[in-house]
Amino acid sequence: MATWIPLWLHKLGSPPTFYRFAGAVMPWAMGLALLFGVIGLYGGLVLAPPDYQQGDAYRIIFIHVPSAWMSMFVYAAMGVSGFVALVWRIKLAEVVAMESAPIGAAFAFITLVTGSLWGKPMWGTWWTWDARLTSELVLLFLYLGVIGLYHAFEDRRQGARAASFLAIIGVINVPIVHFSVVWWNTLHQGSTVNIFGHSKMPWEMLWPLLAMTLATKCWYAASLCRRARTDILALEGGKDWVRAIAEAEGAR
Amino acid sequence: MSALQHFLAMGGYAMYVWPAYAVFFAVLVVDGVAPRLRRRRILRELRGRLARQAARERRPSPPAN
Amino acid sequence: MSASLVPACSAMLRRDLTLAWRRRGDMAMPVLYAVIVVVLFPFALGPDLALLQRIAGGVVLVTVLLAMLLALDGMFASDIEDGSLEQLVLAPQPLALMLGMKVLAHWLTTALPLIVIAPLLAGMLHLPAAAMPALLLALLLATPLLSLLGAVLVALTAGTRRSGMLLALMLLPLCVPVVIFAAGAVAAAQEGLPWVAPVAWLAAALILCVVLAPLACAAALRIALDS
Repeated sequence: MATWIPLWLHKLGSPPTFYRFAGAVMPWAMGLALLFGVIGLYGGLVLAPPDYQQGDAYRIIFIHVPSAWMSMFVYAAMGVSGFVALVWRIKLAEVVAMESAPIGAAFAFITLVTGSLWGKPMWGTWWTWDARLTSELVLLFLYLGVIGLYHAFEDRRQGARAASFLAIIGVINVPIVHFSVVWWNTLHQGSTVNIFGHSKMPWEMLWPLLAMTLATKCWYAASLCRRARTDILALEGGKDWVRAIAEAEGAR
Repeated sequence: MSALQHFLAMGGYAMYVWPAYAVFFAVLVVDGVAPRLRRRRILRELRGRLARQAARERRPSPPAN
Repeated sequence: MSASLVPACSAMLRRDLTLAWRRRGDMAMPVLYAVIVVVLFPFALGPDLALLQRIAGGVVLVTVLLAMLLALDGMFASDIEDGSLEQLVLAPQPLALMLGMKVLAHWLTTALPLIVIAPLLAGMLHLPAAAMPALLLALLLATPLLSLLGAVLVALTAGTRRSGMLLALMLLPLCVPVVIFAAGAVAAAQEGLPWVAPVAWLAAALILCVVLAPLACAAALRIALDS
């Protein structure tokens, strides 16, 4: 191992240490997620005025846009930890990459459903083959491919490495898909819908959006900690420290 | 119309706004609950394995009769 | 070392082509599948000439893609079963180059027959003759791209039991740009617009993939077979 990596990072890479660390972080992240969520929802649903064009339907933005950002952010996080897992073969990076995938898929799914529910009153259709929508759908398929490949292997660590490789290919693929769909739209001259018609958002709409973005970020951190802890227990099932946890929880 | 009714009506878009929020929360609740259930199952299986192992160690050989 | 590369490559190519030739029936399967799919379209949509003309390019492209997907699963299957793929990984020759040869052999045996009958398929759907060169050129560039991209994914699933549907799920995001540009070229040719730009994009992507995909394929295979 390289010497420039600080010692605490090595220690954090060991499963029992990370298990305790994630257990300490999780309640804080969860608390922050709920706090920001309540503030953002109150600001978005109650305090923010109706939009002059879209009326109250625009309020879907407070969950749609943060979910869309998170679906991309989680993919980037998965790609980076997948890269770390492949290059340095750190077990923890494999866990983080593979446990990020379901969370990202959940956010991509939310983005598509809420976008469709927003599109119906605004554009008069549930779905259009716009570049953003199509890219998001492709992103969901990439997530499903990663999850599917991970579960197709009998050996979990091997599956994690193969799926990490697929995730890295996907990181390269997403901009290409976006570019090609934009080109495709200009070719076919489809109805160009611009949902962010007014780019200057007033402050009383912007701050709930930012609060919700922070809330989803914290939710991701909390959910990742919880999932990673669970996965570590499954991977380290034979170790003494896991047995101690199992027995302690059984006694309760 | 009372303030609450006005809020729930969402300016006539209630049938789009509230399902969107419902999906958001439903998916996140599933995302939160699924690992908890998995954790419980993993630990239960582990306890079962440990119990079987302990039972084997207490009786190293099967009874003769 | 470099002197032994050319014989190794040609031996690899010859071996795969011989194996494919011994199982000629399997080679005909994707072609048959493509014909069946294209024949079904007029029955489903009605024999309206204008409608068939409009969808001809897209239908032929998607049919060829699906037929290739059907054959993709078997790219490394027999080599994994008899262990010759593991020998290849251990061989002194660079793995990426050998895998590139395997992909080339696979393309020659599955995609080339499809390209040969593509004019017939397009003719059955009344694609105008003016768009035919664009279709053939697009297929010539798109099919090796799909073979190369597919090879990386097949290598990734090499260690798994069931992979058919999974392969389709994994390939879909990768083949979206390929389908868009290939079909875009045909559509532009059909409307009498210049169609060089999408073909040039396809060619650029192909050159990139010829260089990178065998390397990625080798890396993927090392991951999937590492146990």
